Amino acid sequence: MKKIFTFASLLVAVSLVLTACGGGGGSTASDLLGAITERGYILVSTDPNYAPQSFLNTEGSRPSDTKCPSDALTTAEMQGFDVDVAKAIGEALGVETCFATPSWDAITAGSWADKWDVSVGSMTVTTARQEILDFSVPYYYTPAVVAVAADSGIDSVEGLAGQAVCAGAATTYEFWLNGDMEGLGLPEASVYASVPEGVTVVPLETDQECAQAIAAGRTDFVAYVTSETVVDANIAEGMPVVKLDGAVYSEDLAAAFDKGSSLDTASLRAKVDEVFTAMHEDGRLTALSMQWFEMDLTAAPNQ
Amino acid sequence: MAVTTQQGKAPPSQAELLYQAQLRKERLFRAQVGASWGVLFLILIFLFSGQEIKLGSFQYQTIQLDSEFILKNLSFIAKGLGQTLLISVLSIFVAMTLALLAALGRLSTFPPIYAISTFYVSLIRGTPLYLQIFFFFLALPQLGINLSGVVAGVTALGLNYGAYMSETFRAGLSSVGKGQREAAMALGMTPGQTMKRVILPQALRFAIPPMGNDFISMTKDSALVSATGFVHELMWRAVKVGRAQFNNLEALIMAAMFYWVLTLILTYFQSKLEARLAKGDR
Repeated sequence: MKKIFTFASLLVAVSLVLTACGGGGGSTASDLLGAITERGYILVSTDPNYAPQSFLNTEGSRPSDTKCPSDALTTAEMQGFDVDVAKAIGEALGVETCFATPSWDAITAGSWADKWDVSVGSMTVTTARQEILDFSVPYYYTPAVVAVAADSGIDSVEGLAGQAVCAGAATTYEFWLNGDMEGLGLPEASVYASVPEGVTVVPLETDQECAQAIAAGRTDFVAYVTSETVVDANIAEGMPVVKLDGAVYSEDLAAAFDKGSSLDTASLRAKVDEVFTAMHEDGRLTALSMQWFEMDLTAAPNQ
Repeated sequence: MAVTTQQGKAPPSQAELLYQAQLRKERLFRAQVGASWGVLFLILIFLFSGQEIKLGSFQYQTIQLDSEFILKNLSFIAKGLGQTLLISVLSIFVAMTLALLAALGRLSTFPPIYAISTFYVSLIRGTPLYLQIFFFFLALPQLGINLSGVVAGVTALGLNYGAYMSETFRAGLSSVGKGQREAAMALGMTPGQTMKRVILPQALRFAIPPMGNDFISMTKDSALVSATGFVHELMWRAVKVGRAQFNNLEALIMAAMFYWVLTLILTYFQSKLEARLAKGDR
């Protein structure tokens, strides 16, 4: 009995020591980038619930010489577009990339308590999130575009004035059509056009139904707003619609940093911006996008 | 005895006959229970075999599992066993320590000690374990205390089960008669010696079997720690691969099987332990 209790008290002591080491302590660096270089790994949060952006590689096994903490996953155990982008950041910093896997709502909630360094998780830059998180430059985009019925003769966003336009109910597309910038929640920099006067909004269950209604020859509306990938797919399917040039707004997907971090993130943010800009320029992001999405989502929407 | 050796075979006594009959009855009962278990298990397997039953106009398709997914992800989910066991074992030690302290506090005649003990038990038993895990993982950082997923999980599980187990310990401690204490005192033992040499050994005999139960139940509650996202035990692995590959049914059944087998093994050891401790009763 005595032994059991000695053992038990030992364990309690050990867990207390573990507790003390819990939060990346022991570092002498004054900013996050310095701390990362010093410890030799960057801890990236990403939720492995989203293929093809980020999901588990169940066949991969943890390398024995990894520096990653025991409760983090290694690059061998994860795969996806976000995972490859995160790896590129680690390579540019000359450190190993490790993945923390908290639930998505814990990442977007901010106040990370230094449990991880950065989120590379296809997070849309929104005004609400900007209050608690800092964002890098976007590494890819989901542009929203207007598609019009091919026989409508409309060739610009302004041409929608006084017309009926369709969108999926309760989507950001509907918010944009209603001119509800608060509901849209995007920073001004990613909104390129405002809705013309006198547009009647027709919300349908999903934006796919908008395209199908036009294809079926219905004339309740002449156009619909949705993501560029959906419109491209509709056109590829042979639907009689035309995509108007230029995005009306875009959801910018970027890396995020905690404003409440105990270490200064400024130098790390600058470094990540630099890495993303270089990857946009030398085509590495395009190549990754082609690999995981089979289309290029990394081109900045030009207005 | 002498009669037996002389005559070779003595007619068994009435009592012996009765005893033999009772043993036979018990053996038969156990065999039948075992056979029924086998049948139930086969039915369960059959329900998930994907076979089609046709009885005249009655048609029933049993559940078809994706065996390719199961084979591919078996080792990935199995890798979570270590974490599940680690958390359970660490937590049970934390819980035992706290439970013993709380139970001793409960027997104390010093009001503040008694109050601390009952306050702890009431507070912890009055709040959900799930909430406690999140509290230690997500809420404490706001106060500058940053626990890792494993430590937060072990702390919450340990505190929670400690509160429940303190009742078990208390029952064990109060099961030792007052006379034992008085006898020890009469022999000149100090209160500490009395506790260590007389009370605890007898109390633990009563407390250990229900503690085994708590340990088994804790291994299953360790699944809640997966909610932190930082502990990649059985449940976390099953949920993630199940969702990503749209095979929730297979993934959760696999995790369920691991927990069940783990429970069966632990139950076996617990019944052995119980039998060993019960020897003193005869």
